[in-house]
Amino acid sequence: MSSKRIIGPIGRVEGDLEVTLTVEGGQVARAEVNAPLYRGFERILQGRPAEDALVVAPRICGICSVSQSVAAARALASLAGITPPPNGQLAINLVHAAENLADHLTHFYVFFMPDFCDAFYSNADWHDETVRRYAAHRGEHIRHALKIRARLLHIMGQLAGKWPHSLAIRPGGITTPVTTSVQHALRYILRDVREFMETRLFGARLEAIVEATDWVSLNAAMAQHLHPLPDAAWFLRLAEACELEALGRGPDAWLSYGAYPGADGNLFAGGTWQSGYHPLSLAAITEDTAFSKMQGDTPLPPERGKTHPELNKPDAYSWCKAPRYRNQVMETGALARQVVHGTQLAHELVRRAGGNVLSRVVMRLWEMARLALAMESWVNTLEPNAPGLLNTALPSQGSGIGLTEAARGSLGHWLSVSNEQICLYQIVAPTTWNFSPRDHLGQAGALEQALEGLVLPDKDHNRIRLQHIIRSFDPCMACTVH
Amino acid sequence: MPKDDSLDRIAERLGLSRRAFLKFCTGVAATLGLSSQAGVAMAQAVAASRRPSVIWLSAQECTGCTESLLRATHPTLETLILDMISLDYSETLMVAAGHDAEVARHAAMKENHGKYVVVVDGSIPTKDGGIYCKVAGKTMQEHLYEAAEGAAAIIAIGSCASWGGVPASGPNPTGAVPVSEIIKDKPVINIPGCPPNPYNFLATVMQLITYGTVPELDKENRPKFAYGRLIHENCERRPHFDAGRFATEFGDEGHRKGWCLYKLGCKGPETYANCPAIEFGDVGGGAWPVGVGAPCFGCTEKGVGFTKPLHEQAKVATHTPPDMFPPVHPDVGQGVTPGAAALVGAVAGAILGGTAVTVRELGRMEKQAHDEHDASA
Repeated sequence: MSSKRIIGPIGRVEGDLEVTLTVEGGQVARAEVNAPLYRGFERILQGRPAEDALVVAPRICGICSVSQSVAAARALASLAGITPPPNGQLAINLVHAAENLADHLTHFYVFFMPDFCDAFYSNADWHDETVRRYAAHRGEHIRHALKIRARLLHIMGQLAGKWPHSLAIRPGGITTPVTTSVQHALRYILRDVREFMETRLFGARLEAIVEATDWVSLNAAMAQHLHPLPDAAWFLRLAEACELEALGRGPDAWLSYGAYPGADGNLFAGGTWQSGYHPLSLAAITEDTAFSKMQGDTPLPPERGKTHPELNKPDAYSWCKAPRYRNQVMETGALARQVVHGTQLAHELVRRAGGNVLSRVVMRLWEMARLALAMESWVNTLEPNAPGLLNTALPSQGSGIGLTEAARGSLGHWLSVSNEQICLYQIVAPTTWNFSPRDHLGQAGALEQALEGLVLPDKDHNRIRLQHIIRSFDPCMACTVH
Repeated sequence: MPKDDSLDRIAERLGLSRRAFLKFCTGVAATLGLSSQAGVAMAQAVAASRRPSVIWLSAQECTGCTESLLRATHPTLETLILDMISLDYSETLMVAAGHDAEVARHAAMKENHGKYVVVVDGSIPTKDGGIYCKVAGKTMQEHLYEAAEGAAAIIAIGSCASWGGVPASGPNPTGAVPVSEIIKDKPVINIPGCPPNPYNFLATVMQLITYGTVPELDKENRPKFAYGRLIHENCERRPHFDAGRFATEFGDEGHRKGWCLYKLGCKGPETYANCPAIEFGDVGGGAWPVGVGAPCFGCTEKGVGFTKPLHEQAKVATHTPPDMFPPVHPDVGQGVTPGAAALVGAVAGAILGGTAVTVRELGRMEKQAHDEHDASA
């Protein structure tokens, strides 16, 4: 017997999301992920002066708006053939990492952990303490986290002027002059961030977290202060109790464009991992529309991409296109980034049980520590009053690609200009990869794969497990369909 | 003021000191242009645990408006708004999912019929039957009609909900319209901006809660306390504009020195908002786009933001400066005769006087333009 269930709206994700499940014999036989919001950004961008991508494109998403700014600015920089001066790049890295770190923090405390307060778990011995810490709106630890998040976002005040949707990031660098006083202010902010993470989140020095190479050393690093258990250690305890490592196995193929450029290359290297590392080949990327409510049946590379809604397309169930890499489904995000970069802990987790709810969340936590350390070193490398911005003369025609990593994974903007106007703008966002619908080969998207085969023993159990799996990707639906 | 336990209790709930809480309320009152006594009234209203129910509908949005509220430091949306109001439905923040969430929303609307506040972020797509934004199988248009019916007040937060924003710009692929074009039988308070300053929203909500009244609105239904003046009027770089000192390229000397950004396309002269006065990011000291050297592009203003190209120079309603004013202190060569020096002095004096008159004139013209703006409200 098979039955069809639609789950949606799903709260505490960024934007609108619906999932349709076909259940057969107590198991998910088919999952269809739908992003029910479409705005038409790629068409709205056409016909504008190229520079205007800087204000229009970031509006796709108010959560990873800096990532969108960075991608748009890099697409224009590649069109113009320029690179920001080192000081400008450092400042951009700081703004970008602040957003990504804040996103990871919000995801963990505000979106992910409250699920463990669900009445379904009320008999567990850890439930009361979990509610005290993470109950939505009230949890004590959520409040601590929001306080430090606000503090972290003071970096936006210092360097970006406004957040979300800063105007400070440009192809030639950043408009903000970095003075000694800004540098000092940044140091103080990062000191507070470190203190929060070392006392409340990890209960360990950030350096020790970053050096953890496997499950045992990660646990050992955090178990130094046992009472009260720091939040990351508390999560590991819940993860074990709820068997999160067995939930939500994805395609186990990972993509990262690499991020945070510096004098010695990117802080996180780009590439793919499919049973081994491969350098990035942009020509391998296509967007498939076989099951998207979009015209066309042939997969197209983004530089020739089209976005024309097609309302009466049989079988189509999402506004989202299906990006593929050499026709393969890829997962992207913090776990993917660290697997591709070669971080030992990520490889150890993946060796144990592939991409799953646990490994995704752990690598997000690990990355928070890594980013905080990187930010400290960038602040110290800043050179007060050194030029951070080059003027950019944009050519009247040509094309450009802007790649970066948002908190949730790989983000790319493809742009073509003729007669000084944008004639093509295609955006492939992280959750477009993760939450894509099926493609012409019938391959399910990464989340769909993570849901299919899930055993559904009873109603309450199902609901909560589905939520763990969906949220483990930290979806950003505003970006997914734009 | 007599010691009031309820204030202590709310301060404790919010995790603030009583003093910090009162200070915050007084600050909000000041944003609204009210006296500090009003701040105390607000603090008491918040503490009195009258918690109006709020239904937050997200239409074609980017979550940026919610994010900016979560970011406000003193206190956050989570702590303040959630303690002041009963947020019965918000996709971004709610606990429930799917069917449960819909049930909660309907229960809140029924129970508080005629008393709840609807907040909308995002524009409403109307093309092709509104299918471009559907929640729980229903179009946003249907959700909005349903929620507005029993609402005491409707607030459109952000430019998308206020006048269409990005989705409605250019070819408007989804037929996106603002809330006020869907709900015509009730006034909609518009708080435009992309995102708007969170304090403008908070202040409006505080006034609703404290006095049950709506702040005075202009003809675009925007609160005058926030959108009553041009950015240009309060901009800290205004003296550079008046003196003719402009950045002419990004990263040039003028740009690095913090001169006026008018020639880089700054839309401050045609954009109504209080950004330079209240700033962003809670760090003080010039944290707003122009303050960090990024020209305003008019995100609050219909017909400017997302409509005029970035590089296009703003229409200065009040006054267009010359490319350069004559120098006030011209270099005087050596060996100048006393007569020539006297002449230079006289000319300099005339220029100074002239400039002063220009500035005074400008002030008068701006007041006029401002009054016209108000009069047409």
